[in-house]
Amino acid sequence: MSLPTISRVPASGLLRSIRDLRWLLRSIAPLATPRRALTQMGYRRPGQPREDKPPWWRVKFDLSKGLKGMKRHFTLLKEEFFAQFIGPMGKPIIEHMLEQNQVLWEFRGPHSLQEWTISCDREIGGKSEIYLKVGRNNETCLLYGTLCSDPPKDGETRYSGYCTMRAKQPLASFDRKRYHDWSSFNTLHLRIRGDGRPWMINVIAETYYTHQKDDMYSYFLYTRGGPYWQDVKIPFSKFFLAHRGRVQDDQHELWLDKINAIGFTLGDKADGPFQLEIDFIGVCKDYAHTEDFAYEKYKRNPEV
Amino acid sequence: MAPFVYSTLIISLGLGTTTTFASTHWYLAWMGIEINTLAIIPLMTQNHNPRAIEATTKYFFAQATASATLLFAAVSNAFLTGEWDILQINHPLTSTLTTLALAMKIGLAPLHSWMPEVMQGLNLLTGLILSTWQKLAPFCLIYQIQPDNPNVFITLGLLSVIVGGWGGFNQVQLRKILAYSSIAHLGWMILILPFSPPLTLLALFTYLMMTFSLFSSFMLVRTTHINSLSTSWAKIPTLTACVPLILLSLGGLPPLTGFLPKWLILQELTKQDLAPIATLAALSSLFSLYFYLRLSYTMTLTMPPNNPAGTLPWRLNPQHNTLPLALTATTTIFLLPITPTILALFTS
Repeated sequence: MSLPTISRVPASGLLRSIRDLRWLLRSIAPLATPRRALTQMGYRRPGQPREDKPPWWRVKFDLSKGLKGMKRHFTLLKEEFFAQFIGPMGKPIIEHMLEQNQVLWEFRGPHSLQEWTISCDREIGGKSEIYLKVGRNNETCLLYGTLCSDPPKDGETRYSGYCTMRAKQPLASFDRKRYHDWSSFNTLHLRIRGDGRPWMINVIAETYYTHQKDDMYSYFLYTRGGPYWQDVKIPFSKFFLAHRGRVQDDQHELWLDKINAIGFTLGDKADGPFQLEIDFIGVCKDYAHTEDFAYEKYKRNPEV
Repeated sequence: MAPFVYSTLIISLGLGTTTTFASTHWYLAWMGIEINTLAIIPLMTQNHNPRAIEATTKYFFAQATASATLLFAAVSNAFLTGEWDILQINHPLTSTLTTLALAMKIGLAPLHSWMPEVMQGLNLLTGLILSTWQKLAPFCLIYQIQPDNPNVFITLGLLSVIVGGWGGFNQVQLRKILAYSSIAHLGWMILILPFSPPLTLLALFTYLMMTFSLFSSFMLVRTTHINSLSTSWAKIPTLTACVPLILLSLGGLPPLTGFLPKWLILQELTKQDLAPIATLAALSSLFSLYFYLRLSYTMTLTMPPNNPAGTLPWRLNPQHNTLPLALTATTTIFLLPITPTILALFTS
């Protein structure tokens, strides 16, 4: 499409008499596509009205909820205080010395699903669906749904088609962040049963700066379709750094002392139903695995 | 890091400390400390991982705050007394402010909270420089402040000994344990400073030797977690036998070298009619001894739960130069019998 020619612009002397220049500008150059600020929290679908409510209007104040919350938080605080007398992180030191395996998430009942959150591109206007339920005999969890790669028709989104499940951030008393300390271990151990689709495992570590909040360390999880369970062991040295889904040039190993969450993402562009059954997620120490980091740390400005 | 850049930074570290040592004017001393801070920042960030960047940022904030406070105290002293000389800091307000600024520089309680997090984000070599070399310049200045009222030093010292012991109690990360150990030892040094500065120097040099040997040992074994200490017997058996002695020396047990400064400090405190403070300090050092013993137990007195036959590593010749470790480990373990010589050296 060609730009309008300059001859359509009125003479400069007339411009001073024009108060409303918007009609003039519209004909000369197209409006810039609005871009979201990087620090803007959350996503507002195009066409959705902005929320003009002040924050205190969005909170529902309830005395009984407040009292229950206070009781829960003070109970957690008391447990944390007395856990210090047992040992580091509430475990005796002998356990720290002897542990080689630790099961972190074990799906044994509906209560275990409270620690997880699921999401798909339906939030941005897509057509995928995702559900999480307890498996047969309350022994596993089943993540299932339908993947659809059709992008939402909002004129802005070009790609779509993802489903994800992520563990919630563990919280201490008064909603302080608590971290998983996996520094005694070097391998992620999962027992899963899939349908042959390739998944992505994401580990989210604690960061310091705001611009690092979308950093995650990812690796692939190839599932075998079929009735047999799959024991997957992925060393943490294999995880690579990605930011907002883009693999970074400057790679470094995953530091295991402050882990926030782990997640599974499906985005293989194969539309249709999917299923993933998980028995447990744990970590283990493989003494035979001595690799620090699997990828080369390239120098970005090498000396010539 | 390019060798030229690395050597420039190391030389800058040396320059900063030497400048502070050689200065009598507050501006020059402050400049030396700033050179030190700025020179170690790139060393801390040479690994581009988020924890190192976080550690560097926290270190920079803490040190910048302390430097600003120090400069403010020096300028205030010049305003109030007209003196820029380091030895002439006589006004009680400026003397206290200077002490607190330098306490934050070296990580004394209650201004210590940056220390464990910063140490945790660094590799062992940079942590060693932070624990040893970076303490020298601020200590040189603290040594020259002669307060009339020793209460500030006693409070800082006692708090540091208690916090250093209590904080390291439930740690499994070796770098954090070493950070709390550093805080506790600095507490001992500051405690005796108003009464006997030579003992502070003795405690400082002993601490530097012991910390150097411990850091070097952990670097050789390549371990940063208490769990991985248990496999060190398969890598370097001799070191596995020596490290408990180094740890117990840090804990202040006779007949090892670490007992010497603690003994003399307790003796001096008792002579100054501060027996309750001496008792508190001695009891608080038991906390530190507890986690040193825990490290010794894990490293030497237990076998790891893995199958040793399947995972014995190759015993290759070490690529690092082990002579400094050998020398410092020897002095850490065997120096107590020559106490009179050492005393004569420091008190003459």
